[in-house]
Amino acid sequence: MMSTPAAQVAEDPAEEQRRMLRESALAFAANELKPARMRTLRLQPVQFDRKLWKTMAEMGWTGLMLPEAHGGSALGIADMSAVVEELSRALLPEPLVASAVFAGNLIAHGDNDALKAKLLPALVAGDLIPAVAFQEGLKIDSPVQSRAEAAGKDFVLNGVKSYVRPGAGADGFVVSAKCGDGLGLFWIPAGTTGAELKLERSTDGTDIGTLTLKNVKVGADNVVASAKVGAAAFDRAFNEALIAGSAELLGLMRGALDMTTNYLRTRVQFGKPIGSFQALQHRAVDLYLQQELTAAALVEVARLFEEGGSGDQLNALASRIKARASDAAMQIAREAIQMHGAIGFTDEYDVGFYFKRIVALSAWLGNSAEHRRRYAACSGIGKKT
Amino acid sequence: MTNWNAMSDEEFRQIARKFIEDNYPQKLRYPSKRLRWAEIKDWYFTQSKAGWIAPGWPVEHGGMGLAPGKLIIWVEEQENYGVGRAPDHGLTMIGPTIIQLGSPEQKAQYLPKIITGEHVWGQCYSEPNAGSDLASLRTEAVLDGDHFVVNGQKIWSTLAQDATHLYVLVRTDKNVKKQEGITFLLVDANTPGITIRPIMTIAGDDKFCEVFFDNVRVPAANVIGGVNKGWTVAKTQLGFERIFLGSPKLPQYALGRLEDIAMKIGAFDDALFTDKFTQLKLDVADLNALYRRYTEIVRRGGQLPPDVSMLKVWSTETYARIASLMVEAAGAAGGLDGATDLGGMTEDIMTHYYYARPATIYGGSNEVQRNILSRATLNLPG
Repeated sequence: MMSTPAAQVAEDPAEEQRRMLRESALAFAANELKPARMRTLRLQPVQFDRKLWKTMAEMGWTGLMLPEAHGGSALGIADMSAVVEELSRALLPEPLVASAVFAGNLIAHGDNDALKAKLLPALVAGDLIPAVAFQEGLKIDSPVQSRAEAAGKDFVLNGVKSYVRPGAGADGFVVSAKCGDGLGLFWIPAGTTGAELKLERSTDGTDIGTLTLKNVKVGADNVVASAKVGAAAFDRAFNEALIAGSAELLGLMRGALDMTTNYLRTRVQFGKPIGSFQALQHRAVDLYLQQELTAAALVEVARLFEEGGSGDQLNALASRIKARASDAAMQIAREAIQMHGAIGFTDEYDVGFYFKRIVALSAWLGNSAEHRRRYAACSGIGKKT
Repeated sequence: MTNWNAMSDEEFRQIARKFIEDNYPQKLRYPSKRLRWAEIKDWYFTQSKAGWIAPGWPVEHGGMGLAPGKLIIWVEEQENYGVGRAPDHGLTMIGPTIIQLGSPEQKAQYLPKIITGEHVWGQCYSEPNAGSDLASLRTEAVLDGDHFVVNGQKIWSTLAQDATHLYVLVRTDKNVKKQEGITFLLVDANTPGITIRPIMTIAGDDKFCEVFFDNVRVPAANVIGGVNKGWTVAKTQLGFERIFLGSPKLPQYALGRLEDIAMKIGAFDDALFTDKFTQLKLDVADLNALYRRYTEIVRRGGQLPPDVSMLKVWSTETYARIASLMVEAAGAAGGLDGATDLGGMTEDIMTHYYYARPATIYGGSNEVQRNILSRATLNLPG
């Protein structure tokens, strides 16, 4: 026992800034993000709202992590995660993580300053929605087969990229391809000759794409990253997307669990609120525990990531949080339906939107099993001497 | 007198580390069983003589007066070195209670002897019919002149066989709400009528005891916090303990052992084992992150929220999963009692599997912790 007076806990300036970012995201979510939006957007050819995206850009969120030279705020992954978490909690189909974090940072980490000067200010302003087309095959570690052959100063690309998010509504794609001995990254605007986009419906009601490239010509001015720096640039942006993507899952967990505990408090059966039954209470506590474990791990991972480290260390950190967030979110999503009972399985009840978005985002960028494998490989598990 | 709190955290950490390395017996590092007083009392006396025995206590009572942040560092350094836990109820539980609620006479009588190690304290809370539902306890104390006469039975008193003194929750009023008729008593363990009987556990040790009270006369002056106010005393006492029950120390240590064993026996050749191990490694990593959330609150002098109960649940259940995987990985050796050879290393496979059992029971069973979280954090109806 220790007599600890309820002293005012002092905030450091970085924390204060993060709290303010959180508060502005919360206020925005309260005004702009209604679950009913999900019902109309899923019927549209593009399942997010470009007008809202423009407003988000005005809030500074599309450029939050991007360099100041291109109009961004150059903030870190912890700040970005705070914004993503609060918006996601209120259901956000707009591709903040996919376009602003993953694609935006990937362009910024490249070595083509002229291209950055062209693309990044447009992303910051909310006028450009880029997507990353990296994956080939079912797993994130499926080897890249796409090739970029040099043709003078230009390149010719061939290959097939799958699970591209956003698919519908993307203005262009950052495409990874084998280039000599390295990995090159190339900017291919939507509608480029030879680049065909096929859409598939994701569980969350958005369309994701398969991009087939047949002899697509890419000029030197559209090389995002040369083969020298491509792999490192990709790893860094991928890791940042994993952390922000985990924050997005955490927001969804909070939204789904809030709805569920609220239901447990108010739904009466056998003459009592069902939340008075211990069988449900203990399971609800376990969900809360997983949510808070994710939240605590996210804070730590973001902090350590910003402090820096070797490639393997950073990969392990990012995979650690994506593995936790994916598992925790899937568990919360399943239990949210079960605890609601049959009403939770109906399309008219909103908890299904959380369920479906969690399923989609847990798989996107690699599910928990894939990230445990990546974590094990990067942290030398089983290799101790 | 050294002003520890004026030091930088790093400077203090170095001094603490050196003190431990210079003085803690090598053979007692990472003990696989809870140490008895006879085994670890020399370390207690060493700390006492150096002025390190009560880091969290105020200086005027013989402590170091460490600020919460420094205290955490001291605990971390002990954990990192594998320092075993001495019988410490005097230092961590009853001493701070006397400091906060005791009379000047009680402070003068008890505190210095906790510091010197002359008094070793044991806790008498649980009863055969009052475990998780502690407030239903029935050990009775009836006032007779200037003494209470105590009758009843306590159980699960950790290391009570080593105690010179006991702090006891007794019933002093049967006609009120059960929490409102409980009194907190300080009892000399040598008082006639007290019988302490160790209980052999399935792990083959006897760290828990039964304590019988048969017309035991206790001075009425030995009440802490007032007659019938004992429940409040016990509850405030448990506040800070929760964070230590959730320490990552034990799961982290067990995971390290599991990794060593797995390397020796080639378990990492099995992709299924590697995935299970990786999951546990992440569980421990994230436990550390959660633990840091609460130690950070303490470090800044803030008040712990009720959801600190999560730590105990996750820490002990993670520990239990590690112990299970250890037994699974050991194959046929998973059924052996005692140390055995595993590919060139000697290991007692069952140690952790045994100790994982009481871990999820003591300090408020994990089910009771979940009840607390359900009400205090999730606001679910009672």
